[in-house]
Amino acid sequence: MSVYEDEPGKRVLMLGNEAIARGAVEAGIQLGAAYPGTPSSEIMPFIAEAAKELGFHAEWSTNEVVAFEVAAGAAVVGGRALFACKGAGLNVVMDMLMTLPYTGVRGGFVIVVADDPGAWYSSNEQDSRFAGLWAELPVLEPWDQQSAKDMTRDAFALSEMLELPVMVRSCTRLSHASGDVTLGEIRRKRNEIVFDKHWKIPYRWNVYGPPGPIEKHRWQKEQMKKARDYVEGTSFNMYHEAEKGSRLGVATSGMASNYVQEALNRLGKRDGVHLLILGVPYPLPEKMVQSYLDKVDTVLCVEEGEALIERQLHQHVNRLGKTVKVLGRLSDGVMPVVDELDPDKVASVLARFLDIEPPPSGEDSVREELSEMVCARSSSWCAGCPHIGSFWALKRALPADKVNIINTGIGCYEMSGYGIAAAPIDAKDTDESKRWRAVTPYEMTDTLYVMGSETGLSQGQYHVGYRDGEIVSILGDSSFFHTNLAPITNAVYNKAEQLILVLDNLWTCMTGHQPNPSTGMNIQGEDTYVPSIEGICRALGVQYVETVDPYNLKETIDAIKVALGHEGGPSVVVSRRVCALQRSRELHSQRAKAPLYVVNENCTGCRMCLWLGCPAIGFDESRNNAAGGKGAAFIDPLLCVGCGLCAQEEVCRFHAHDKVGEGEF
Amino acid sequence: MHTTRSGRESSRMAAKMNLKEFNLIVAGVGGQGSVLASHIVAEAAVKKGFRVRVGETFGAAQRGGKVHSHVRIGDDIHGPLCPSRSLDVLLGLEPNETLRLALKYANEETLIITNTRPVPSMDANIGADTYPDVSQLIEALKRLTGNVVPFDATELAVEAGNERTMNVVLLGALAASGRLPLGAEFLREAVLSSVPPRTVQVNEAAFNLGHDQL
Repeated sequence: MSVYEDEPGKRVLMLGNEAIARGAVEAGIQLGAAYPGTPSSEIMPFIAEAAKELGFHAEWSTNEVVAFEVAAGAAVVGGRALFACKGAGLNVVMDMLMTLPYTGVRGGFVIVVADDPGAWYSSNEQDSRFAGLWAELPVLEPWDQQSAKDMTRDAFALSEMLELPVMVRSCTRLSHASGDVTLGEIRRKRNEIVFDKHWKIPYRWNVYGPPGPIEKHRWQKEQMKKARDYVEGTSFNMYHEAEKGSRLGVATSGMASNYVQEALNRLGKRDGVHLLILGVPYPLPEKMVQSYLDKVDTVLCVEEGEALIERQLHQHVNRLGKTVKVLGRLSDGVMPVVDELDPDKVASVLARFLDIEPPPSGEDSVREELSEMVCARSSSWCAGCPHIGSFWALKRALPADKVNIINTGIGCYEMSGYGIAAAPIDAKDTDESKRWRAVTPYEMTDTLYVMGSETGLSQGQYHVGYRDGEIVSILGDSSFFHTNLAPITNAVYNKAEQLILVLDNLWTCMTGHQPNPSTGMNIQGEDTYVPSIEGICRALGVQYVETVDPYNLKETIDAIKVALGHEGGPSVVVSRRVCALQRSRELHSQRAKAPLYVVNENCTGCRMCLWLGCPAIGFDESRNNAAGGKGAAFIDPLLCVGCGLCAQEEVCRFHAHDKVGEGEF
Repeated sequence: MHTTRSGRESSRMAAKMNLKEFNLIVAGVGGQGSVLASHIVAEAAVKKGFRVRVGETFGAAQRGGKVHSHVRIGDDIHGPLCPSRSLDVLLGLEPNETLRLALKYANEETLIITNTRPVPSMDANIGADTYPDVSQLIEALKRLTGNVVPFDATELAVEAGNERTMNVVLLGALAASGRLPLGAEFLREAVLSSVPPRTVQVNEAAFNLGHDQL
């Protein structure tokens, strides 16, 4: 099944992100742009597949705001365009998101944002529907793969009707779940690409152009009034009447609506409440809401995220002078206030609301006892990951007697802050003992927020006078182009001393191996120019720039030490080695074999190689070791890729790791 | 006001087959093929006309992290996540992960088919936690349900000719269990049509070896 398959009526299993892409294809999309961000990452590759076949442009842009502006440019000249990002990605776009609606768009412009309640892949749980409210744009919220496809398709026409961008809000449980979808027709007609400087309004595409931003803002508000008719009539807003006598209501949307319907079934209350499912959570349909509020005395709002519908219902209750009680996240003790919803949480909330016995929970004393047995399985880097070498070298190069600060950004290297075996910090600990508690490479990162924050944070720490240790910024190749050029320029301009460690593994890996400028390839697999990270840093004025191979620990340690001694501004070390998974795939496609490593009889059981944090290395307590005791390391031959890090003098001084086989990884 | 939902057509077809709700979780470790196994079952169920949802849960790690995939089939399902204690079948590709998921999702009736071959975790490797004894893991599963089928699926996959067909061995056992609302032959065809053509033979052998475990 391909995303552009022309078989209307066919039923297929589709990933949520694929369904969103299909919706765009059915609408006759003419341009797609995105920056990878899980859980939205698969949308653009699916669109790119169609782009190749149907002949339009799709791209990975260098960051979200660039992607947004590329898509907006297409919509300004009349094309149908889609921009996709994760919740955090939308924050990068805010400047343009708040301003574009003043001029609106000519071609349909659909903003797909995939939020991540539960923070599975994100540093926050933000509810991006509020960005729609803030920017005064309609927000559609699908609940399954079919509605994701249909809403994305219809959002283009809605956008053209309102002449405003339209937001489609997905979340992890939709984007990364699959369901059966019935395919629709693919629109073959393409919008004409045309530029009309004064289209309907003077100086249409220039917010400052007469009559200026205030009048353009007024225009936008008038356009949003047209959305009112749409929300009253759309079949995405649904109402299910309760059995006679019930004055209870539940208002819900998106993924939460699934949990509500299942919970009502399980509780035997399918018709127990007046159910309002709002496919368009902003703006609410006023007439529909008014007749709904006539039927209920109490409404429980169940939303995946924050209280968007709930706040609007409060507003409508006030406006209409009603006494309906609105419950939800804003009421104490009604809903969980953080984390994603799930069928169990919603069932227990509804049982309380309906004053009936909740379904049995997953917990009891036997389960509590048995859960002690389950072994933790923390996230770790892949076997042979170049980051393992970079962090080992960094740890060895930093002064052990100082309180160094490692500021890290977003990418696989952020796992250096996830913690495995992190010893609990005791109140009695001294600064000295706390420092030594970081035992694995997974406890090295000290600050971690968002992409690009690392280099700026370092500068503030330096300028305010932090001198108790070294200050380090860690970023990847994709992050370098995403949001680090301005902070590095700033570090040079304002003479901030810090080590900037660029871990260039040639791919955007954590989101699933998308290409970026460092890869030398675009989303369609075409060769592209590879900008020089070192050259850019030198051009910006960085005086010390060195390139190392993280598989060579000595070289990497030495270069970092020299860089740390650099004064008068930032120093840059580029640690470059292709992602181990990509290298394995390359070898596999060439049918080439990599060597592997085994632990020999020299192993003393010191466990030093285990502290690399490589998942291929384990410890066998029963094996005799060279120190005359029990316990020796072993290497899983199925996981080892043959990077050779564990065999280097800087890890094992007992020469206890032997290479088996020819060639290099 | 509208009450129609998309996906009605599939719901009606499923209703004809009298299937309200079937819940399956495939649990394992990244790289073992649990997502692929769940998609094979789901695709086959869509072909049969059922309403289907698949929910995947995995951590940030590309490899080696815990992965579980929820497969839900039937007229009464809406979301991609199984409620706790709702499983018809738990298919475990790794015994420690089988227990992790069984604790939350299994009930006394749940059929647990599990590989007994452990994949040690990083936490165990560096001595931060202890990997439990496999026989204890199986005993623990038996305290939750009377229907536990443990065997070394990795060994059988090696016997079939490729260790990586371990997930297909377990699908063979799942087909033989009769719990799935799809015939064993239908699932076999679904497996064989979704693997690379040159691996059909080894996958068929793996499927058969798993099938013979029940």
